[in-house]
Amino acid sequence: MKKFLLSFLFPTLLFASEKDSLSIDYKHKFAQMLDDCDACGCSATGGSMGFASLLNTNFVGLRYIYQRYSSTDGLYANSPWYTEQFNSVQVWGRIPIFKNTQVSVLLPYHSNSRETQTGSNTISGVGDLTAIGLYRVYQTMSDSTFLAHTIQLGAGVKAPTGKYDATNNGSINPGFQLGTGSWDYLFLAEHIARRKKFGLQTMLNYVVKTENDKHYRFGNQFSYSGTLFWLHERNDFSVSPQLGVAGEVSESNRQYGQRVSETSGSVVFGKLGLETGLGKWSAGAQFLLPISQNLTGGRVDAKYRFGLNLNYSL
Amino acid sequence: MAAASLFVSCNNDDSAPAATGTGKLNLEFDNVYAGNNLILETQPNTTSGNEVLKVSLLKYIVSNIKLTKSDGTVFTYPKSQSYFIVDETDVASQILKLENIPSGDYVSVSFGIGVDQQQWELGADGQGDFLALAQTEDMLWSWGAGYKFLAFEGTFTSPGVGSPTVFMVHTGKTGTDYNYTSVTLPLTNAALVRTNITPQIHVFADASKIIDGQNNILLSENNSGGTGAMIMGGANLALITANLSEMFTIDHVHND
Repeated sequence: MKKFLLSFLFPTLLFASEKDSLSIDYKHKFAQMLDDCDACGCSATGGSMGFASLLNTNFVGLRYIYQRYSSTDGLYANSPWYTEQFNSVQVWGRIPIFKNTQVSVLLPYHSNSRETQTGSNTISGVGDLTAIGLYRVYQTMSDSTFLAHTIQLGAGVKAPTGKYDATNNGSINPGFQLGTGSWDYLFLAEHIARRKKFGLQTMLNYVVKTENDKHYRFGNQFSYSGTLFWLHERNDFSVSPQLGVAGEVSESNRQYGQRVSETSGSVVFGKLGLETGLGKWSAGAQFLLPISQNLTGGRVDAKYRFGLNLNYSL
Repeated sequence: MAAASLFVSCNNDDSAPAATGTGKLNLEFDNVYAGNNLILETQPNTTSGNEVLKVSLLKYIVSNIKLTKSDGTVFTYPKSQSYFIVDETDVASQILKLENIPSGDYVSVSFGIGVDQQQWELGADGQGDFLALAQTEDMLWSWGAGYKFLAFEGTFTSPGVGSPTVFMVHTGKTGTDYNYTSVTLPLTNAALVRTNITPQIHVFADASKIIDGQNNILLSENNSGGTGAMIMGGANLALITANLSEMFTIDHVHND
């Protein structure tokens, strides 16, 4: 099992360390990893932003994520492009339950807006609640090893606490919703390799989406990130600059079992981040800029994302 | 176990509800010009013959709609209700709202451009309300001359015609050709007509094909005396009619 897992994780490790050659090659490789699921499409959950903080394993906190897109109906060569903005404030945390076992919880409040031909349109409200149980399957105990590893595996659910509005079905960005309206299932793998002050955190997340009561099913989504970090700790102060990549690959959405054309897609972001901690408190910031993308048949163009978080260590 | 589950995916369960009763279907005609949304009056559209067209009017008669189910059975929309005029300046006219369609999964649509000869031969009294509509919409020359099947008007310039010059293309029957044509278009995905699902079939009508399709007709060669290119009869109408059969494509189908 562990061997399989490591062989699964290793390409990602290489990927993160060869930043120059990642975009095209790895898009293909990830599409191949998904095998019979064709790449791609993206709902705007910000899944590639991860569920973890590097400074504290266990915490509760608040996170704000801003995402900016430009989208078009794609019907005509001269179709206009409109700006879409996704604001999300999230209560999130990772709470220890037993030894080596934690629960990761995330409840967002979204306020999404977009321009239209006739003016601006905003939807606001609670999004989908995510809860993931995590188990630490491996942790290097000795200080003398070249690399210290931590591996966590988890599985969870995303509950349809956010409103899904079927009237948005035919519109431009199918991800312009507060929730998918469906019970979705998540699988999460996290790996941290550390050598002295340096480390690499890798996250893989796969979401199996189901059909909602409006007979719409969002495409399954694979998110991943690889983050190189440097961690300096002195007394109760810590600081950690981070550099990495993050991406999402989504399958086509389906309506009444039929594939909805031009809803699959993928995007790869470059990521810069900084986390600082003082005592029990920590604050972080992340900025993501797309390196390559093909979202919903080219009808949605991701501009950038950023995240800010304030956590209290448990 | 969890990692293996990463590959759980992709089932193709058809979740459409059972097909009983009747429903509605919208057939939307979206006029474009070679990939661009058609914008009247202002948009310069260049043909393969280097003529630049600014379109001021595009109207056509859509008729005799038939829908074919995935099992091959054909539903013919009642002929007396199956004549429509699509007008680029009238958004409401661009969505044909069809009712009392038997529930089912429809995979192709066919329709005619113009009024078929059989219908015309019923005489003026046999046309029902459509005759008055065609007169109001200026889609009838006269009862004897017949219906205009398609009207395409605007101004053009060409390498030899420097100042914007009027063009009018009106198709319809001539002394030698009846010039009614029909098309059958496979749908990109099945239109699921149900009591509670009204599919919308989004048809692209590419105005560039009218004079610049399999047959290329130069307006400058029909501009006798420099007073305008008026194509309303003669051999060109049969060539343009052949072009019309290539004008229509299905872009997508919504099942909402």
